Amino acid sequence: MSETGLGRAAPLIYALTAVIMVFLMLPLILPIVLSVSDTPFVTFPPRGFTLGWYAKVLDEPDFSSSFRFSVMLSASAAIGAMLLGTPTAIGLVRLSFPGKAIVQGLVLSPLIFPTLVTGIALLRLFSSLGSQDAYLNLVIGHVLVTTPYVVRTVSASLVTVDPGLEEAARTLGADRFTAFWRVTRPQIMPGLIAGALFAFVTSFDNYAVSMWLFDASHVPLPMMMISLISRMFDPGIAAIASLMIFFSLFMVLLLERLAGLRRAMSF
Amino acid sequence: MTLSTPSEPIAPAMMQARAGAAGKRSSTLLPGLMLLGPVVLFFVLVFVIPVGLMVRYSFLKQLPDGSLTTLPTLANYIRLATVDLYRGVMLTTLRISLFTTISATLLAYPLALVIARGPVWLGRLITVLVIAPLLVNVVVRAYGWRIILANGPNGVLNWALSFLGLGPVELLYSDWAVVIGSVQVFLPMMVLPLTAAIGRIDPAVEDAARTLGGDSLAVFRRVTLPLSLPGLGAGCTLVFSLTASSFILPSLLGGSFTKMLGTLVEEQILTVFDWPFGAAIATVMVVIAMTINLAYMALIERKTRTRATEAA
Repeated sequence: MSETGLGRAAPLIYALTAVIMVFLMLPLILPIVLSVSDTPFVTFPPRGFTLGWYAKVLDEPDFSSSFRFSVMLSASAAIGAMLLGTPTAIGLVRLSFPGKAIVQGLVLSPLIFPTLVTGIALLRLFSSLGSQDAYLNLVIGHVLVTTPYVVRTVSASLVTVDPGLEEAARTLGADRFTAFWRVTRPQIMPGLIAGALFAFVTSFDNYAVSMWLFDASHVPLPMMMISLISRMFDPGIAAIASLMIFFSLFMVLLLERLAGLRRAMSF
Repeated sequence: MTLSTPSEPIAPAMMQARAGAAGKRSSTLLPGLMLLGPVVLFFVLVFVIPVGLMVRYSFLKQLPDGSLTTLPTLANYIRLATVDLYRGVMLTTLRISLFTTISATLLAYPLALVIARGPVWLGRLITVLVIAPLLVNVVVRAYGWRIILANGPNGVLNWALSFLGLGPVELLYSDWAVVIGSVQVFLPMMVLPLTAAIGRIDPAVEDAARTLGGDSLAVFRRVTLPLSLPGLGAGCTLVFSLTASSFILPSLLGGSFTKMLGTLVEEQILTVFDWPFGAAIATVMVVIAMTINLAYMALIERKTRTRATEAA
């Protein structure tokens, strides 16, 4: 890009950009800075240096059990969303039939529908049905809100693949599933990986559905974090926040490496 | 997959593939059902029906003994619109969402311009830095803002202000804390569509405007801004509807002083157990989100139609 891309206002735009980036990054950097403070309370500026809070937090059974529970829940949700969303993407991209727009609208609607309300509707449903298995309820809710992301990401990948190749495999005698698995699947692998990772992350961060459906023995990490914020005032809480930031950073790098961040976001 | 029997020759299939969209054959029914049947069933059972039931609930009324009226009534909606406390919550929600959307617009343009028009390496770096926070839990980001905005000398902002000799501010648990947090959390949803829109503008158009003597502001106002409006519309729609239906940010940054619909509905359902009233609040949240989205779609549609007429 030539230097004329931004015109003469370039210095001003760069300066504003720098300030905005600080604004964007500050709440992610500060918890890390405060988590190593050798003080009994979260205070700024931090004093001293200790990794003791991390040790304390990792020993905290509430935190580690919530983390394990969230990983299990999000993995289940991602698997469910892939199983449901991949055929959906194939159907929507490769078939044409009356009412396709309605199916597409239905499947993508949770993206624009307030997730908080989706959670309320699910709570209403589960309590009407008397379904008290919190884990099952949470998985159903998380599959519902993550499937649209899988459909969107996998569809975006599928439209770039020539259907003629799969057609050729069919002509040569492969059945539908084999043709998909051996011909199309390898080509859309980055889309599938991005879809699965994105479903996992979306579920891992979800609170809007979880807050209605969790119970005392099934506490996803965001719900645990909310309760810790109101009852934990030492830098341990900053250490927990930092650990979650590091985990997200790891997921960002994984997404960028395996699928490309922009592709994963479908922009 | 294009749907044909294996005995068909390759050539027509290839031609069909090249023709673009999927084949319109008589045999779409079975694979269609197999591919899309489960998802439609799942979404109808755990999304369409529950939301329908919830909306129906909002037209019932809970009597003092906890039982429900049998006849439909608008009582919950009237209560929401007429009781000062609840009407205030509704107005606060709309006000905070509007301020957040406006602020996010102002902050998003410089970023989108640099990503779309600046050096490639910088654009990539900023893109990653803008997207990355999206993957950080909202609770964690709200916690970050609590550290910054904390009232009293321990808050980072107050520490910085006293450093400059300025008085302490009490921002946490105010509307502004919620706006600041929401802008930071939802800014990426504005930057990404805006970047895509600006990226679609041919830089030559801007160069031409400059060559013809336009200063930077004029080029932005007369060329870049109007041509980026579709992206801006998409961004505003996302930011407004996400802010209007958020819970964590008003709960952790607004506290009991700044209540929004998200915190009110949580209180009514999980603490007061007034399901019908809670369902009515939830329905209003849906109406707000849908109105914004439909308005945006209608605008886009009208624009496309105008363009089509012009072309014809």
